[in-house]
Amino acid sequence: MISVSKLLTDLDAEGDGLRYDAAEESTKAQIRDEKQRRPVVVWNVTKQCNLYCDHCYAAADTDIADGELTTAEGKALLDDLADYGAPVILFSGGEPLVRQDLEELVAYADEVGVRPVLSTNGTLITEERAASLKAAGLKYAGISVDGLPERNDDFRGMEGAFDGAVQGIQNCLDAGLKTGLRYTITERNAPDLEGVVDLLTDVGVDRFCFYHLDYGGRGTEIVDADLTPVERREAVERVCDMTREYHDRGEEIETLLVGNYADAAYLVEYAREHMGEAQARRVYEYLRVNGGDPTGERVADVDYQGNVHLTQFWQGYSLGNVRDRPFGDIWEDESNPLLGALREREDRLTGKCADCRYSDVCRGGSRLRALTVEDDLFAPDPQCYLDDDEIRGPEPFAGGDATSPAD
Amino acid sequence: MGELDHEVDAPRGATSREWEVFCREASADPLTHVGSVSAPSADIAREQATRLFAHAAEALWLCPADETVRVQDESLALDPDSDGADATMDEQAMHDETLRGEAE
Repeated sequence: MISVSKLLTDLDAEGDGLRYDAAEESTKAQIRDEKQRRPVVVWNVTKQCNLYCDHCYAAADTDIADGELTTAEGKALLDDLADYGAPVILFSGGEPLVRQDLEELVAYADEVGVRPVLSTNGTLITEERAASLKAAGLKYAGISVDGLPERNDDFRGMEGAFDGAVQGIQNCLDAGLKTGLRYTITERNAPDLEGVVDLLTDVGVDRFCFYHLDYGGRGTEIVDADLTPVERREAVERVCDMTREYHDRGEEIETLLVGNYADAAYLVEYAREHMGEAQARRVYEYLRVNGGDPTGERVADVDYQGNVHLTQFWQGYSLGNVRDRPFGDIWEDESNPLLGALREREDRLTGKCADCRYSDVCRGGSRLRALTVEDDLFAPDPQCYLDDDEIRGPEPFAGGDATSPAD
Repeated sequence: MGELDHEVDAPRGATSREWEVFCREASADPLTHVGSVSAPSADIAREQATRLFAHAAEALWLCPADETVRVQDESLALDPDSDGADATMDEQAMHDETLRGEAE
């Protein structure tokens, strides 16, 4: 997760508070001084969903699936996560609001000190549920919209899904709940990007997360509908331009890019071109400390049956199951050679990643996409859109003061 | 040690059959459980596991998760008294609730 607005406009990124231990709302010092040590945990509380989206990584369906963790098991999991020191729990699905105990689980997470946040399609968020989630202690709701109305509804398999999501957003904002957009960029919806931001800004949304498609679940089936490298670069440039334009007009929006750490390198190059060498150095240092692709380290996933995954998108492989062992024991068990290799991946990366000068801020990007497309765990991320002359050469700002603050 | 009288028999595998994977890094090493892969057949499970562990393994063993008996000390269970009842809406309720907020 890369906060474009923070890096390019110095806006204080709520994103940090959502990801890091937010016992104190100001987390600047933690971010700068050390990498996050415990993962944000995504918990797919159910596989069931009321929509059927083309790109769903969880391959969710309308049927109830066997083996969901019960309310009591869920609370025991939250106890485990609290003991381990997980800073944030992201309730996801399926559609998490189909679980009628969601508020109970949110309240319990808040009680044991794991910051509860939510990822939802928004169409089940009535005024009552927005209010009850807020009262339970929910800190943030990220609501998925993937294009202007017609395109979004087509993607999500339901007419009216766009209006339903916007109403859900409105209900959250009315309840006083911090609310943001989740937008997965593909070839089909890239043209709608600015239009959706303009429309939702008018509703009152001020946080926009743009996801690159990862190749898990049904996302694997639409790899062909993904952006080309040239289109991806243009889309990311538009996010950067749009962020600065809003800022220049005095409208503070927060924009984030998620799921492709070529973006980290691109942001350094963008800052250098548009804002000068000093800003580029600050951007680089910030991103270097944050540490590049988080798979198997700063993000973890527990599915509805308790299987632990390397990221929420990588559902086809599980490290173990929380019904067998506590989460922390599974996550710390580096006798698993895959876990060890991912955490020490720098020396294993091949092709253009092997000598990329931005490897410190990227770490090869998505290993899942490399595996899916190249059949090779350590091949370059097929979504990398950097030019050869950006990849080659000495490490940017080598010899600089690595501990200098980013702002 | 414990009595190993708690059996974990909850289903696993979100989209297809789940296969437990065991890996031996060198012939003198123990065979170690290294997680599981989802695959509809043993051949595909073997392919999946090989892609993930060939860089480290001299040998891989695979076993269908639904043929694996898992018993353990009760203290390890997430919730030994759990009755298996789930808290998810039934399908009709889910559809009734969808877009209700928008209709209000």
